[in-house]
Amino acid sequence: MLLTPEIITILALDFIFLFFGIIAFFISIKIVKFWNLNSTSNLQYKLEKQSFLVATIIKYIFIVKLPLFLFFIFTADKLSDVITGAMCGAGVVNSVSFGSAMFFYKILNLYIFGFWLVLHHFDLKNENQPYTKYKFWLYIVGFIFLLIEIYLEIDFFTSLDVSKLVSCCGTLFSAASTSSFSFIFTINKLYFVYLFYAVFTLLILSYILKNSWMILGLNIVYVFISIISLIIFFGTYIYQLPTHHCPFCMLQKDYDYIGYVLYITLYIGTFYGVSGAIMSILEKNKEKFYYNVSIVFNIIYALIVSAYPITYYIKNGVWL
Amino acid sequence: MKNRLNKFLFDFSVLSIFRRGSKNIFIFFVFTLLIFLLSSILFISNSIKSELDITINSLPDITVQRLQAGRAINMPLSRVNRLLAIDGVKAVIPRVWGYYYFANAGVNFSVVGIDQFEDQYRDLYTKLCDKFNFDRLKIDSGMLIGSGIDKILKNNFYQGYFNFVKPDGSLIKVKIDGIFNGDTKLESSDIIVMPSKKVREIFGMKPDEAVDFVIKIANPSEIPNIASKITQLYPDSRVITKEDLKISYQNLFDYKGGLFLALFVISAFTFFMIIYDKASGVSSDEKREIGILKAVGWTIDDILKEKFYEAFIISFVSFITALCLSIFYVYFLNAPLLKNIFIGYSSLKPEFDLPFCFDFQTFSIIFFLTVPIYIAATIIPSWRVASMDADEVMR
Repeated sequence: MLLTPEIITILALDFIFLFFGIIAFFISIKIVKFWNLNSTSNLQYKLEKQSFLVATIIKYIFIVKLPLFLFFIFTADKLSDVITGAMCGAGVVNSVSFGSAMFFYKILNLYIFGFWLVLHHFDLKNENQPYTKYKFWLYIVGFIFLLIEIYLEIDFFTSLDVSKLVSCCGTLFSAASTSSFSFIFTINKLYFVYLFYAVFTLLILSYILKNSWMILGLNIVYVFISIISLIIFFGTYIYQLPTHHCPFCMLQKDYDYIGYVLYITLYIGTFYGVSGAIMSILEKNKEKFYYNVSIVFNIIYALIVSAYPITYYIKNGVWL
Repeated sequence: MKNRLNKFLFDFSVLSIFRRGSKNIFIFFVFTLLIFLLSSILFISNSIKSELDITINSLPDITVQRLQAGRAINMPLSRVNRLLAIDGVKAVIPRVWGYYYFANAGVNFSVVGIDQFEDQYRDLYTKLCDKFNFDRLKIDSGMLIGSGIDKILKNNFYQGYFNFVKPDGSLIKVKIDGIFNGDTKLESSDIIVMPSKKVREIFGMKPDEAVDFVIKIANPSEIPNIASKITQLYPDSRVITKEDLKISYQNLFDYKGGLFLALFVISAFTFFMIIYDKASGVSSDEKREIGILKAVGWTIDDILKEKFYEAFIISFVSFITALCLSIFYVYFLNAPLLKNIFIGYSSLKPEFDLPFCFDFQTFSIIFFLTVPIYIAATIIPSWRVASMDADEVMR
């Protein structure tokens, strides 16, 4: 167990999330069970008031979680100085077996809580509040994920060991490693590049066609293919090193913190795409604002990652 | 989900804070004080750390000590040649140094012995060798002292010389030939430099011994490899690399800052309760106000938003104020009182300035531990107020 200021900060905020999350969880269960907008009972009246409390709590958790997630990555990066063998956040996160799972839940929760707020916004806009039960169901699911995330995070921080030797990203992200994703390194990396641009083209096409189902599906595929192609292909151009496949090192100062820019644009682009598409399907009305934000950020992401190989080629006259 | 900032609501919140001035001023002061304490401690810890980093960077790649029964003892000089034979070793420098306890002031001096034409293991000593002639000092029986020591000796009425007590009880009088300042005050304040022969005499060391060896290595990436070779060659030695020192310093300071932070978290949660209590105690005036607002058409959401603005303004203004105050306190006033937590009392209380060092990370730690906690404390009370019934409260 390390007692650094960063870890204490994150844990203290986790406890606050937990405290408010539990309150909101119990209210949500009551609402899911007893909500009936046509009823004039005392209970319904009380529930309507309490739903505002839950909304405030979720807003609070989401707004604090967003910067806290960046802070978490930053902390992992800093801890890599102290932990033997780690050279960036990847080594620190993977020093425990559930490190990638914790990361996955962290990102998933950002999408769920963000989408909750979108649903809430549309719910309040409509006087019939059609999504109330859905949104509280969504919160109940999200709360369970939040619990898992906080549990994993506490476990992660307590099992960090300064004297334990961990792998650095160079060995984690290579075909030789035994991790679950090592098989992708054995596939020709050009396939992923083609796939990335194919998905991107389809995505742009879907915006032109305004087909909500297509936008929804392609945005989800886009997140995964973007991250995989970033690890396999684009990352090597950011590092200008054909053997360096790491999604974490690009968050460091040596690469001008470009990782933060990439991940934030990817998150905004796909988040607005997914939530816009779901709301379009539910509302039967094209959510133009969401699509516009989504398309702009997805294009920015694609432009930035493409710029790296192209400038490399222009400067050096060869591909990596 | 277009959450635009409503300017009128914002104005309303600011005015509302001033309307309940006395209550909010109290909260503002306590909160500012708390953040001020926290940020001062973190700033001090940070700048001492950055000062130490400079010191560590000027330290040798590898230090070798000899252990007997778990304690460090002197190294025989005969080992130097065997160590030099290891590939990649650029230089092996035997160090002669020690702590001299000066009982009158209750402090330890670090007494370091160097020779004019030796390879120096610290930039400071190279500079001193350029400036002063140690061969002359040997003949004159002189020494150079750090600025902190100068002060202490003057307070104890030593003008231009100092009497060292040898292990056998006899005295050696050594002249002060100069006073120096290093790059950082922490590293030079408590140091006395004189020719090695004199140091051996003061501490009663044999001429064929040194306290420890410092090893310079041509290629830094070979350090771990050479370190393990030394341990194989002399199993009784303790090998300390620069990297080891860096990590242990980082841990030490994280620990000290963390310990304080753990205490801070407790007080922050106490404060959380105070805020909760303050915000829950709604005066009848406030109730009426909420009632009127609801009667003119404000929704629960609007009132919650207004309350959120209020909490955010108070906490953020205290945050900024406290940050400015602690920057002034730490970097301009040099953090009186609080600095002692980190430097301790036992050594020669070195008088040093804290170098300015402000990183985004400290800033975000302070932010995350204060503003969100304050806002969290106001969530439930604000909701209580906002969900009151208009007709009931106006009655």
